[in-house]
Amino acid sequence: MTEHLSEHDVRDIAEYVRIGLTDDEVEQMTVDLNAIIDSLRPITEYELDGVEPTFHPIGTLSNVMRDDMVVPGFSQEVALENASKTQDGSFLIPSILGEGGDR
Amino acid sequence: MTDQVFGCMSACQIREGLATRQFSAREIADESLKRIRALDGATHAFLETTEEMAFEQAARIDAAIASDLLDEMGSLAGLPAAFKDNMNLIGTHTTCSSRMLANYVSPYTATCVSRMLAAGAIPLGKLNMDEFAFGSSTETSAFGPTHNPWNLSCVPGGSSGGSAAAVAAGLVSVSLGSDTGGSIRQPGSFCGLVAVKPTYGVVSRYGVVAFGSSLDQVGPFTRSVEDAAYSLNALAGRDPLDCTSQHITTDFTANLSEGVRGMRIGVVPAFMEAKGLTAEVKAKVEEAADHLRQLGAELVEVDLPNAQAAMSAYYVLGPCEAFSNLARFDSIRYGYCDPGHKDMNSQYDASREIGFGSEARRRIMLGSYLLSAGVYDTYYYPAQQVRTLITQDYARAYEQVDCILAPVAPRTAFEFGAISDPTEMYLSDMFTISINIAGNGGMSMPVGLGAETGLPVGVQLIAPQFKDENMLRVAAALESVYGPAPVATAFLPESDLSAPANIPDARDAVPGVVLGEEGECRA
Repeated sequence: MTEHLSEHDVRDIAEYVRIGLTDDEVEQMTVDLNAIIDSLRPITEYELDGVEPTFHPIGTLSNVMRDDMVVPGFSQEVALENASKTQDGSFLIPSILGEGGDR
Repeated sequence: MTDQVFGCMSACQIREGLATRQFSAREIADESLKRIRALDGATHAFLETTEEMAFEQAARIDAAIASDLLDEMGSLAGLPAAFKDNMNLIGTHTTCSSRMLANYVSPYTATCVSRMLAAGAIPLGKLNMDEFAFGSSTETSAFGPTHNPWNLSCVPGGSSGGSAAAVAAGLVSVSLGSDTGGSIRQPGSFCGLVAVKPTYGVVSRYGVVAFGSSLDQVGPFTRSVEDAAYSLNALAGRDPLDCTSQHITTDFTANLSEGVRGMRIGVVPAFMEAKGLTAEVKAKVEEAADHLRQLGAELVEVDLPNAQAAMSAYYVLGPCEAFSNLARFDSIRYGYCDPGHKDMNSQYDASREIGFGSEARRRIMLGSYLLSAGVYDTYYYPAQQVRTLITQDYARAYEQVDCILAPVAPRTAFEFGAISDPTEMYLSDMFTISINIAGNGGMSMPVGLGAETGLPVGVQLIAPQFKDENMLRVAAALESVYGPAPVATAFLPESDLSAPANIPDARDAVPGVVLGEEGECRA
């Protein structure tokens, strides 16, 4: 099996997608991802010169704009209902600046 | 009082009974909830029941009957129904069978659900699934797997496994599932049901938690083709809240009795010779083809030369779209938030580590890799080019035929734990995936039990885009031979199965949810 990704790469991806992984999980994830990427090889072997991509299954769609009118939406209260922490009608998050900010 | 088992009845039987006052909608709600509580311990199809909403809807129907207004209640009036747990229904948990959303309570209702309710269906609860619909067996649910009503040691298929099991066990008459690569059709085949993935754009996706936005489509599980058609009539059409939904005016019940005489039905030789297709499934597809020929259809061989690339295209496109869609779970606005973190990044990392199961993590990481600079041109862009080739294959095939007949899944339901390698599990969808890639409608139609395993087998009927009525017409012809889908033997009304369930009620469940063995929730 080709090694597409090293454990170092997997750690970088995990940091980028913000999923913490233990050392054991990094090892298993590296094995799994390499196996899956290997199975995708057919896609790299197709003769595709001049073939246009299809990004969407319905070719005839065009963008839709609705009229610029005020319509009812979630109240502030409802929008906050599923938040784990709120304060003064806002989402509360850990500090992102200064002490305790970026690592 | 009545001893009828409403979840085993069809829309017509329910309406007839309501119209002639053999029973009330309240009795339907009451008896159906009792049956779910008595039997769902065996299948674990339900994650939550919706008592209050069921009785409210029943009261509306009974009031309409009292005023002789039943006809205004819609074609699904009184029909016991339930919904996959990735569909928002206001006031219920919508967990996607993930720890990430274990405590999420929907502040609104998905269009597909509200349309079923507007047509008179009685909402009984929310149904188990593979986590975020990533899987083909419902084994990745954070709340424990669902069991196949035909053999409780087998999986029901997935990802809409709870939706299939609930109908196969006669707990409800109709359920909704969603299908990104086969997640309606494969469990439909494993549980022996009529299971329809309409053409992309027929049903609004608004309020359904997104997996692959260019692939996802909602559809019904039923035991008869007519009930599937009634459900599609309720579901289909333009929704201003989903710009990919289309104006649909088709009456899906209109041509069910026309038969297949004069229809041209395609068979794909490469599918029938595919490695991994079991003899019993192959035999059933050939038998269905023979029946259709005897009923007057012309069987025509068609070629889909690029279909074998669909698997790898899907496992590029699906994870890329999932990676993008699952970025929204940030632990701030909703979803699991790991407590006690002093900086944002460690809160993100811990919340998403604990919130997502292993398959979700794999797909997010795979999607991120495939979309990264340098890699994009190797996999993602070619996958979209392959999508063009597959779509052209189908367009060419439909110049010759009105519908295609194929296997749904390579085999019947397998035992729990039988497939542990992710790449092997992905092969469950080898015959269904190209349809999502091209956007066509496809459905599973039950054709009896396999000769070797004695488990249900479905055949797949595939329609041209926005000609979903073609496959329903062929399905109705097959139903005239095989009969409507039966309720699984152990769950027939005369059976003495007893398996009490401990399902939280939507109202009582707030804010906690009991998790399965694996799901030690730290919320």
